[in-house]
Amino acid sequence: MVSKEVEKLLLKVQKPGRYVGGELNEVIKDKRKVAVRFAFCFPDTYEVGMSHLGMKILYSQFNSVEDIWCERVFAPWTDMEALMREHNIPLYALESGDPISDFDFIGFTLQYELSYTNMLNMLRLGNVPILSSERTELKNIVVAGGPCACNPEPIADFVDLFFIGEGEEVDLEVMELLRRCRDEGKSKSEFLRLCADIEGVYVPSLYEVTYKEDGTIESFTPKDGAPAVIHKRLMKKMDESYYPDNFVVPLVEIVHDRAVQEIFRGCIRGCRFCQAGFIYRPVREKSPEVINAQCRALCENTGYDEVSLSSLSSSDYSQIVPLLEQLTSWTKDEKVSISLPSLRVDGFTDEIMNRIKTVRKSGLTFAPEAGSQRMRDVINKNVQHDELMQTCATAFAGGWTTVKLYFMIGLPTETMDDVAAIAGLGQDVVDTYYHTENRPKGKSVRVTVSASSFVPKPFTPFQWEPQDTIPVLHEKQEHIKNSITTRKISFNYHDADTSFLEAVFARGDRRLCKAMALACERGFHFDGWNDCFDLQKWLEIFDECGIDPAFYANRRRSFDEILPWDHIDYGVTKAFLKKECQKAYENTTTPHCRLQCSGCGAAKYGEGVCFEKRQNLV
Amino acid sequence: MRNVRIWFKKDYECRYISHLDLNRTMLRALHKSKLPIWHTEGFNPHPFATFPLPLSLGFRGVNECMDVKLEDDTLDLKAIPDMLNPCLPRGIQVFNATEVLMKAGKVAYASFTMLISNDKIPSGKICEDLKKLFAGEKIELEKRSKKGMKTVDIRPGIRSFEITERFDAAELNIVLSAGSSDNVNPNLILTALSHQTGTEYDADITRNDLYNSDMELFR
Repeated sequence: MVSKEVEKLLLKVQKPGRYVGGELNEVIKDKRKVAVRFAFCFPDTYEVGMSHLGMKILYSQFNSVEDIWCERVFAPWTDMEALMREHNIPLYALESGDPISDFDFIGFTLQYELSYTNMLNMLRLGNVPILSSERTELKNIVVAGGPCACNPEPIADFVDLFFIGEGEEVDLEVMELLRRCRDEGKSKSEFLRLCADIEGVYVPSLYEVTYKEDGTIESFTPKDGAPAVIHKRLMKKMDESYYPDNFVVPLVEIVHDRAVQEIFRGCIRGCRFCQAGFIYRPVREKSPEVINAQCRALCENTGYDEVSLSSLSSSDYSQIVPLLEQLTSWTKDEKVSISLPSLRVDGFTDEIMNRIKTVRKSGLTFAPEAGSQRMRDVINKNVQHDELMQTCATAFAGGWTTVKLYFMIGLPTETMDDVAAIAGLGQDVVDTYYHTENRPKGKSVRVTVSASSFVPKPFTPFQWEPQDTIPVLHEKQEHIKNSITTRKISFNYHDADTSFLEAVFARGDRRLCKAMALACERGFHFDGWNDCFDLQKWLEIFDECGIDPAFYANRRRSFDEILPWDHIDYGVTKAFLKKECQKAYENTTTPHCRLQCSGCGAAKYGEGVCFEKRQNLV
Repeated sequence: MRNVRIWFKKDYECRYISHLDLNRTMLRALHKSKLPIWHTEGFNPHPFATFPLPLSLGFRGVNECMDVKLEDDTLDLKAIPDMLNPCLPRGIQVFNATEVLMKAGKVAYASFTMLISNDKIPSGKICEDLKKLFAGEKIELEKRSKKGMKTVDIRPGIRSFEITERFDAAELNIVLSAGSSDNVNPNLILTALSHQTGTEYDADITRNDLYNSDMELFR
């Protein structure tokens, strides 16, 4: 619902459909009859935010509670933002059209570090003070969750409390607590102190950090009896965990415009660069029956004719073939197609291929991540060269002619030979095509090689590693380009500047807050979008704040340094991460969870893959 | 198999979606409703629907139509609105489904109601400016085409008009050429008015009806 003032702007901006709400399945409640109003903010555009599964789950779940009304808020694109400022229109939620300053909670999901400035910019657009300390009343409580909450420190001054881990339970507990505190006339600081006792809640203002002369952390001390370690929350039984039977169906086309069905959380693999592979441990699966029923309900309620099975690595679902059998028993008649993103190179079998092909042929994308076998062993990708070639041959024989390959450059221990091997692998795939007997006749092959720059992340075995500097990354990009000799391979790469800033934020500490606040004041937004990003302006800010960004991005940490996120527990122990890092240096791989337990620590939750019967033990 | 014309209104939030988005929304609603719509045959079977005359983004439509093919010849057309409406956002409302009496290509005119306003200008003044605009023999505008800019005269495309002074807007009821050739978008009238007066206006535009070349209602 939009106001008359907003309507006047809508015809002056691109894609006005993203600012109006009014979609099928949107939840409208009477604001006078609800106890808690939650503004769920996604710090990016409507098209990006509406594609995000976590937001769909929590939106439906919050709204399933009668007296909670959760509404959606997205970052307006630059044209709309400029008009809103010009006409003094505060950032509003799509359902009610009310400004975000009317809400009890203003919640952000943090999916990538470069959206931090959007978060601050959205608060500012809503006339909400960005500093937690300047919001003194028991309203407009700014909360944040999502993967970036695993290192909350660079935005600790702005967010009142962080949800660590999965939100389905803890978010509601905090909302319930707010209602109680309000009834009892408690202050915001009393409320926050009580929140800190809820498992999975981190209240940064209750902790004091001191630094050594060399800039590393000296001590991290809880105040006022707050817990010294904050443990993540997780859903133990996925079959019983809340899942929406309905999505808001956007009026305008979004990035992932389809039904999305979660099949499991976590990943058994333990690729050493991958944060998601560690912070979502242990793997917890849904049963094929539950997935099938949820998929069907979603398709019926939304009208989508495509459903995507979502997880970190779909082919690792232990019952993938029985699941596809159940799904294809009805999807063909209903003209629904199934897509399986996140397929592993070694998971693409004839069986899976034929099942996906029954309705629609989607593109094929694999992520070998590194070109040489040595490098793939360092990152524990556990994919063999032959497997990749075999998989591509299977795909080519099945009629595919385009393959996308994702790689990373700047990985620990990488040499220029490892970099050149990326081009070599692309060439091998091209050769495999021409060696495949029953490839599509008369067609050429297209291989897209895409290289992003490695960003070391907290809670991974590489959390101590330096990132390659920008000039080195440029050199490596050039080296791949020069190593490609065929036009059947197209090469593209991510901008190294944005990866650098991402690396600064990912492992930053509280001292970065000053720079964030200044960036907000200067109107920074959409750092993740090339149209808006300017590293030079960021470097100026770091300079003014006396911050050396290389300290965060390009410095090798010692194993005994106190890391800014050490007080947060995701179940995986620091000792395990250290062991994995050392194994990486020795080019040694670690078997995945289903082959052998490596003792990462996640078994303490008492659920999931850690307690599955291993096949080799039967 | 028979051709069916589905009639609907497009307003509220759905005013702000483009024709492509409307198409997508309709296809999803058709899929959800389980109406026996004919699907295209090919790699990606999808329900087949065409729109005799797309509506520009931002306009309200009170008599819009979409053509589909029904596989079930016995289905009571009166049941269609109740089947489709629960599958649609509140800004799109189906109110009728009829046999196709005229081919889509027969559309020749469309009628619009335009409420033209500017907070700083009395509506009487806008009415006068409009009359002045239409009094001329030609209304020429620069239009971008494939071969660069060219000048077009939209005056011949105006079949009839009526100007009424309202409290906060000038109401212009106008019938314009429509269809695949000689289409005049009512936004062009606004552009021409702005050119003449040097002022920007807010406009609330509703498309009312479509007509064939004999000015019979398009059915």
